[in-house]
Amino acid sequence: MAKVIIDPVTRIEGHLRIDTEVSNQRIVNAWSKGEMFRGFEALLKGRDPFDSPVITQRICGVCPVSHAVASCKAVENSLGIAIPENARLMRNLILGSNYIASHLTHFYQLSALDFIQAEAILKYRGSNRSLRNLRTWVEQEVASKKILPAAPFLPHLKGDYPKDQAWNFRALQHYLESLDIRKDAHTMAALFGGKMPHTASMLAGGVTTRLTPDLVENFRVRLLRIRQFIDETYLPDVLQAAKLFKNYADIGSGNAIYLAYGVFDEKDGPFLPGGLLQDGQQRPLEPKKIAEQTFHSYYREGSPRHPYQGETLPDAEKDNAYSWIKAPRYAGMPCEVGPLARLMIAYKSGVAPVRKRVATLLAQLGWQERHLNSVLGRHATRALETSIIAERMELWLDQLTLANPTVGEIPSTTSGQGAGLTEAPRGALGHWLTVEQNKIDNYQCIVPSTWNFSPAGQEGEPGPVEAALIGTPVATGSQGLEAARVVRSFDPCIACAIH
Amino acid sequence: MKITRRTFLKDAGLVVGILGLSQSAVPQVAEALELLASGRAPVLWLQGQACSGCSISLLNSESPSPADLLTRYLSLYFHHTLSAATGVAARKVLEQSIADERTVLVVEGSVPAGMPKACTLGDETFNELLIRAAKGAQAVVCVGACASFGGIPAAQGNPTGALDVPTFLQQAGIEKPVINLPGCPTHPAWSVGTILHLLRGSLPELDELHRPKAYYNELLHDQCPLFAKYQIQEFARLPGEDGCLFKLGCQGAITKADCSMRGWNGGVNWCVRTRGVCVGCARPEFARDRDYPFYRIHESATNGPRDKES
Repeated sequence: MAKVIIDPVTRIEGHLRIDTEVSNQRIVNAWSKGEMFRGFEALLKGRDPFDSPVITQRICGVCPVSHAVASCKAVENSLGIAIPENARLMRNLILGSNYIASHLTHFYQLSALDFIQAEAILKYRGSNRSLRNLRTWVEQEVASKKILPAAPFLPHLKGDYPKDQAWNFRALQHYLESLDIRKDAHTMAALFGGKMPHTASMLAGGVTTRLTPDLVENFRVRLLRIRQFIDETYLPDVLQAAKLFKNYADIGSGNAIYLAYGVFDEKDGPFLPGGLLQDGQQRPLEPKKIAEQTFHSYYREGSPRHPYQGETLPDAEKDNAYSWIKAPRYAGMPCEVGPLARLMIAYKSGVAPVRKRVATLLAQLGWQERHLNSVLGRHATRALETSIIAERMELWLDQLTLANPTVGEIPSTTSGQGAGLTEAPRGALGHWLTVEQNKIDNYQCIVPSTWNFSPAGQEGEPGPVEAALIGTPVATGSQGLEAARVVRSFDPCIACAIH
Repeated sequence: MKITRRTFLKDAGLVVGILGLSQSAVPQVAEALELLASGRAPVLWLQGQACSGCSISLLNSESPSPADLLTRYLSLYFHHTLSAATGVAARKVLEQSIADERTVLVVEGSVPAGMPKACTLGDETFNELLIRAAKGAQAVVCVGACASFGGIPAAQGNPTGALDVPTFLQQAGIEKPVINLPGCPTHPAWSVGTILHLLRGSLPELDELHRPKAYYNELLHDQCPLFAKYQIQEFARLPGEDGCLFKLGCQGAITKADCSMRGWNGGVNWCVRTRGVCVGCARPEFARDRDYPFYRIHESATNGPRDKES
């Protein structure tokens, strides 16, 4: 049996190693190994609860807003703080902007180079100026005799990159164009958030930003421009990738146990609802069924714990451990979280825009519902979700009331316990907090990539990504490109997963 | 002005003096400056205990745009978030970059000095990799609060014994020109400006904490749009209220950075303009002390009349 190790997995957030065993050109075993620990939960102990949105945002530079939202909600829940309408809406808008930036970066900068023959640019003879400039630059790089010409675009792993030159050219052009679009999405987040990454206006009780018409319209005009890119470039590119790599609609299927907490609070509940979807059956979310195990993680052995009782006691030398990521389970089950899980749950819940758009997507690709549970299904649902959320953001923008407050009353309560459940771009995110005499007594985070990239559990059952890797067909002499495609489809964020 | 070997030696002498390196480092630094000036210096970007926020912030660079940076200004040999190379290809790229003595090493994140297994990459601890990479590099640029001063991983409690990069390298006996670009994250203008400065063959003027004076010379309070409110003692006592945010915990009066002049994300906003407190993310002590909260809500809410200081 051949071992193929991918270490480091680049073009993701953070330090991830994937070990696989290959037999008869299929992956038969896989281990997901998170490789960087900081100990945020330990650092938060004894701090003022209002510190937590500032600190926990810094868990991740890619999805800081999700942590700010989860943390604010956890503090509000524990101390009984209500927030005004404007704060709820601004949080949705800042979070939505972060989703757009994160999803665009994930497809173009992180994943697309697995599906593009970058060297093709040397054959470009068309008249597009940015492509001509790119070709000239690569030619100069090659001529300069640098050790690594055209880095970071080259070199790449060997593999089955497409020969469709029109696709290669267009995708490279969009890689470059999307850089400005994702930057503009961050600018949108900064309009209400103060700055990005790591916002300044979000605190337990509301959002400090003053609403003015120029601010709202500044946001709207950028949103309209970005929506055009999402609908006319991003979504079509993902559909085209799906047509070029048809086999990847059957590769990387997960365990199809989908979990979501619900996100983008509206008056009647979250726009994208929470729940558990298993065997096609949808059940309401019961947070008390969540527990974290550490049997194969570098923490002192402990039985599964609900995060209110959770602890983070590192043991870097532990036998049988192979990852810094803990193993969260819902009623004992490993679950997949992320845009696929969110849209499947919203689809089954009958959320109108989601039902319609998913049906259209399946028709466009000639897919059955089962094809969504795949590498390309994850990319496609992520792109579709970007479009659906961006459309909804205009509604939230219209619901802002300029004259009304943005920060609520902060009571003098100094003790309590609460949870903040939301969704990061990568999936279900929860913060659990206990406050004693205005100091944090315990703080636990279970982050999307903690779910997806968790190691094996108590019974030896693999984590969701490990399970999705098993069965992946690989070429003879593969260096891991096929496995990397499966891994990246989950949009790993390992700084988050471990924190 | 034509740059000669003598110029490099002279500059190197200044650099060594500013950075507190020994005089024996002069020829090496001169060579570094000369190689940098040739415009061929490649960038090796490593991430330790990081959140990738400084990398994402780099991609928010206004002008040059991120596409310009990647295909015109930088030769980004390795970057964890951007390199096409992955797995074995990435390890080969890393080794080639380390072997190339012209590289500028950019480091994002702190170093788990007390628990080396808390950050590993390709069967090697980050600590070992960092030492190897720094030995070969021309200069080391620390982006962000964590690399420059330890940041949040090194906050009170510090379970991994996290250290800032300059202290870690000093303890390992490595003498290299080091530049600190604190901030959480680093503003793209600060990182891009500094890297471009280096690629033009000279070190920017630095202060005693190795920060470029161009970006970190002034207290942001001095240029704050709410400074006038501070002068007339009109303070906000609760979030969202009018007035200077000083009594709410704003650290603008003790934080050196040009945020209040420059703004963030293309200048559309920044922390205090959006009425959030400055959390002092560019300070060496950022987030360090758990008894020093970012918001002083409970104190200020029960602390007399809210409109004006008596």
